[in-house]
Amino acid sequence: MNALSIGQTRAGGVCIVTLSGRIDSTSASDIMAELTRLISSGEKSILVDLGAVLYLTSAAFRALLVATDEAERKAAKLALCNLAGHVRELFEMGGLLDVFAIHNSREEALKQLAGPHAS
Amino acid sequence: MAHAVDVRIRNDISDMGIVRDTLDKLAREFRIPVRALTQLQVALDEVVSNVIKYSWSDGGQHEFLVRITVQPDRVDLEIFDDGREFDPVTALLPNHAPEGQPRPGGRGIHIIKKLVDRFAYERIDGRNHTTLSKTCEVGAAVQRSEK
Repeated sequence: MNALSIGQTRAGGVCIVTLSGRIDSTSASDIMAELTRLISSGEKSILVDLGAVLYLTSAAFRALLVATDEAERKAAKLALCNLAGHVRELFEMGGLLDVFAIHNSREEALKQLAGPHAS
Repeated sequence: MAHAVDVRIRNDISDMGIVRDTLDKLAREFRIPVRALTQLQVALDEVVSNVIKYSWSDGGQHEFLVRITVQPDRVDLEIFDDGREFDPVTALLPNHAPEGQPRPGGRGIHIIKKLVDRFAYERIDGRNHTTLSKTCEVGAAVQRSEK
């Protein structure tokens, strides 16, 4: 119940990864695997939508940090959006709001990620 | 009277689901508020996964005990393990840890301290005993169980 699910859609050049459910020590490695797979496959703009996440633990933060570092190494951008309620609080508690590129909404993030290359 | 459930699990991360589901079931039974349940689930995952990952370094299978106790005004989570001595309460904060390096302590413990009202550790008879308590309103079911 409320197990993690990972969805994927695309908006222009941005790959949107939608996470829902719980992200804890049993499921964080799935996210790390999926994000590093996308980066390795050459994705240059990845947006992780956390709007449907119930909660996340430090294992999830670690996965997102590793993926962010990996993205930087491959000159790719990784951003997060839709941090609501408990999820935003947990980012605050971990002192992580400044560590990631965080956007309030998907629309705002897509504008930012599309950046100067937007047509 | 409190309502306690003991769960014995292996030092295998796949057993984490057993304690998580037990807490969910108790939350439904005793109508623990969603916000408190979420905070308890995060704290439980942090502390139990630390024990699974770091308490034993011999690569062998070990078992340890997780006790969840629903009190009329709070929920207690206790972990008893016979692994190496480790006091999570006095562990270093994440600022002192190399970024991205998993190790005992670190960010997870920092988060636990913000989520629960009491976080205590004792080493008793060669066992680690870690206690987390979260004050919250517990629903009517616990009152019935008191009779």
